[in-house]
Amino acid sequence: MASWTGDTPARPGRFLPGDPRVEEPYRLTPQLAFRVAILAFVALGVFAVLFLRLWALQVLSGDKYLAVANDNRVRTLRLEAPRGPVIDSNGHVLVENVPGTRVELWPADLPKNWPAQRRELRALSDVTGIPLREILAQMNRHAGDPLTPIVVQRGLRQDQILYLREHGFQFPGVRLAHSYLRKYPYRALAAQVLGYVGQISPEEYKTLKKRGYQPTDSIGQAGIESTYDTYLRGKDGKAQLTVDSRGRPKGAITPLANYTPGQALRLTIDIGLQRAAEKALVYGIQRAHDASYARADGGAIVALNPNDGAILAMASYPTYQPSIFVGRKDPKKLAPLLDPAVAEADNHPGINRAINAAYPPGSTFKPVTALAAMQEHLVTPYQTLLCSPDYLAYKQTFHNWTDLIYQWIDLKTALAMSCDTYFYELGKRFYLLPPDRGHPLQGWANRFGLGEKTSVDVGPEVPGLIPTPEWRRQAYPASQGFGIVDRTWKPGYSIQMAIGQGQILVTPLQMARLYALIANGGKLVTPHIADDVELTGSGGQPARVLRRFGAQPAQPTGVDPTALSYVQQGLEEATHSAIGTSAGVFGSFPVDIAGKTGSAEKTVRLPGFPNPSPEVQSWWCGYGPYDKPTIVVCALIENGGHGGTSAAPAALKVFEHYFGKTGQLSTHISD
Amino acid sequence: MSIEAVDTRARGLRPRAASDTVGRRALLRRLDWLLLAALAGTAAYGLWAIDGITMHDAGGSAVTRQALYAFVGVVVFVGVLFVDPDRYRRLWRPIYFGTLGLMVFVLVAGAATRGSKRWVDVGAFKFQPSEFGKVLFVLVLAGFLAERTRSINSAGTPLAALGYGLVPIVLVFVQPDIGTALVYMSALAAVLFVAGVRWWRLGALAAATAVVALSVLWIMPAAGVNVLNPYQSARLTGFTHPGNDPRGATYNLRQSITAVGAGGLRGRGVLGATQTRLNYLPEHATDFAFASLAEERGFFGASILLLLYLLVVWRALKIVTSARDMFSAIVAGGIAFMFMFQVFVNAAMTMGIAPITGIPLPFVSVGGSSIITNFLAVGILQAIHMRRPGRRRS
Repeated sequence: MASWTGDTPARPGRFLPGDPRVEEPYRLTPQLAFRVAILAFVALGVFAVLFLRLWALQVLSGDKYLAVANDNRVRTLRLEAPRGPVIDSNGHVLVENVPGTRVELWPADLPKNWPAQRRELRALSDVTGIPLREILAQMNRHAGDPLTPIVVQRGLRQDQILYLREHGFQFPGVRLAHSYLRKYPYRALAAQVLGYVGQISPEEYKTLKKRGYQPTDSIGQAGIESTYDTYLRGKDGKAQLTVDSRGRPKGAITPLANYTPGQALRLTIDIGLQRAAEKALVYGIQRAHDASYARADGGAIVALNPNDGAILAMASYPTYQPSIFVGRKDPKKLAPLLDPAVAEADNHPGINRAINAAYPPGSTFKPVTALAAMQEHLVTPYQTLLCSPDYLAYKQTFHNWTDLIYQWIDLKTALAMSCDTYFYELGKRFYLLPPDRGHPLQGWANRFGLGEKTSVDVGPEVPGLIPTPEWRRQAYPASQGFGIVDRTWKPGYSIQMAIGQGQILVTPLQMARLYALIANGGKLVTPHIADDVELTGSGGQPARVLRRFGAQPAQPTGVDPTALSYVQQGLEEATHSAIGTSAGVFGSFPVDIAGKTGSAEKTVRLPGFPNPSPEVQSWWCGYGPYDKPTIVVCALIENGGHGGTSAAPAALKVFEHYFGKTGQLSTHISD
Repeated sequence: MSIEAVDTRARGLRPRAASDTVGRRALLRRLDWLLLAALAGTAAYGLWAIDGITMHDAGGSAVTRQALYAFVGVVVFVGVLFVDPDRYRRLWRPIYFGTLGLMVFVLVAGAATRGSKRWVDVGAFKFQPSEFGKVLFVLVLAGFLAERTRSINSAGTPLAALGYGLVPIVLVFVQPDIGTALVYMSALAAVLFVAGVRWWRLGALAAATAVVALSVLWIMPAAGVNVLNPYQSARLTGFTHPGNDPRGATYNLRQSITAVGAGGLRGRGVLGATQTRLNYLPEHATDFAFASLAEERGFFGASILLLLYLLVVWRALKIVTSARDMFSAIVAGGIAFMFMFQVFVNAAMTMGIAPITGIPLPFVSVGGSSIITNFLAVGILQAIHMRRPGRRRS
């Protein structure tokens, strides 16, 4: 077969033919030797490369890769600390924990190929009821950190837990862990005050990560849960677990650090009074409906200790159940709180109307006008002014709330019967003050804590508004098409403000603080709702207070005690004399209550109505007992009509619970 | 040595049947003892390594099975010693077409495993024709080229060799088994090189290969024609940008580099090697065996294996120079280079400096076909060495 077995061809240069019996000799030619040498060099080079690379990886960077390998297999687990309970001033538990189970997703341990991963996530979504979209969105948010688990859901049902346990092998990277769920024994009571707990948002995490928060933490989202999150949250523990490449645990969990439970937060709220206040709101709205103020649909009541500013009750209506934020969340139930459109239709149950909504104060503002006028020597307590159906000034007619009067009255009577024309006159006198006197009415209102946040320890809070000529100039700039007429402070504004109307806005808590000042002799208290943080006593041991927030000292406002006493007397007459605007409500109450009604016109846009319409906001603010006040109550019923119609009876309910006595309503015309 | 004096010019020439005059015992004495020692060392070290690598796997240590294959390999090795390599030269055509037939058979009827068709069932055993084919491929091409030694400088011979070579390469490529196809290509290149194909023709061939590789990996996908599956090309090119896709194609690579690096100087031991034990390192019994060994035994352990390989390659190259004829020289050169290529691509890929391909690590990776083929290859080297010309002790 080989060619050289046949005739060997004669080769040039040779004179003899090759011998057919001998084989052509094979010699290692220089050319082949050269090529073999090249192969040898290639081999040396190849092995040199391998050795160098091996040296670089194992010896030079060995420690680094060792760390990577250890990170691969060791999972640091979070042992969730139970959140501290919230208790009321008498130790009743308002918020506590129940143990639950949470589902965690460890992205690093999910199947590596996409279809399998997708299949698993879909199955997980089917079991937990959390939409796949949401799980993927969460994973995307934490894409840079595959070793921190994502909490898919807290508060699994027993059947879900069992399913996931039994089918664990189908769910690599999914782990069940102990968790705690908030529980609200008093259901909706004080919902807006307590707030709720939710997963930390990416924005919050960005600002809070310096303080040791983790991207999967729960955090107080509103109310005192948010304000006192640092005390309530406790400190999570840590444990380690070795897992294989498919996320399956190998060996037991090694604890590294135990958790520290959150501390208990004691509030100044008395849950009994809180319940009374919330019932009183419903009652007040019902009263308004009965008096054909059919659009009454919300309100707030604040009860305050006038001496130290402790909030005894803070009610807001409509309200919601904080438990809807716990565990399995129902989007339909959450919509009134999270979806603006639904919230509007349901009249914003999430808003704490005691601090986060501002209304014109109406006649409840008159004590400020009275005090400021006396302080500025624009009127003396015994100087009489005309109380008439109408007040004419600057070619404008300002109406009194009633036509059935025409007499000269002094300051106390003016407060008692809430005569508008008396205060119109004071308003005009404020307007006529020379410019170098400034704006004393607004100045005193500010000094009494209006137009600025009260810095109460529960949020969010609005500052309200005490309009001044300067404010008006800024609020109506020419750049937005406002004319000089809009920017000018007109006499009518001062006259309106004297009776708490116009653009003035206050919150119920600000008004409660104002009446606390009247009750306590002129000192401005700082309202607060948290009393202390403590370790709850277990096994019969008493609770140990860790930190007392308590009351900050009340600030003197420089108001003249004599002037104040005339206002106090006026308020007492308002609830007791025959001409008093809420005498029909408080006149027969066994405890001496002093207080002021308010009926403030506010232009509101009601759901279902195309155009804004003027509605009367029903106010009542006051305190008792008159000679030694221990409680201030301020009630507001939105669109509830005259103060005596709905707000005053609602406030009476709070006093009834507080003093343990019942009052009697009699029909009475009121402002 | 008795030379039949035929012609004074014939001095140094030997009769055709000279080799057949040497007895079997005399032959055995002419073994390359260093290569034998290297073979025994590598095989034993590989068994020890694979025992540690597979200790914690689902099926338990694979060492018993692997030892059985090694034993078969030893039998094949001994058998091959007594076959004159010249027979392969004479039989290259039947060998060639027989191998092609098997490969086609695998494609048509072979068991589909992991998406590729590589195995043929023979009773209770499965074997991989493409694995044995490596050695046969070298024998066939060497046979062809030895036949055309005189016309090696013409264009036709290298082209014809290329034609013969490309058929099995394509057949392996479409299995699909890119790694083995690459090994075949390396063997083809080595065989042409040793046979003495002119430098510029080799250069042109290299350039053409580069163009084909570029177009398969880059130009044709860009034009919308995908010769390779996306996962295949991702694996081939992934090592150039390992951080790119941590969860996807380069996941294996990162785990492999981590495993190698974590091994350090002395290794983490069988128990401590978490990358292997907890299965972070995929395919650690086969394709990534080197990484696993490096993790468990460290720089020292991996270096010993590399040195053993280097010893084998050195002896193989030595045998090229001592070969009796052109055919033997080409065979030895082809085997030497192919062996080195496999070692390099496999070890380098686990360390992130070569594309990821499914090439077994000689004498270590789990797999009967591979280990038996390696024994066969070294056996042929020994057979060539034993029949070298020169002083005979008989």
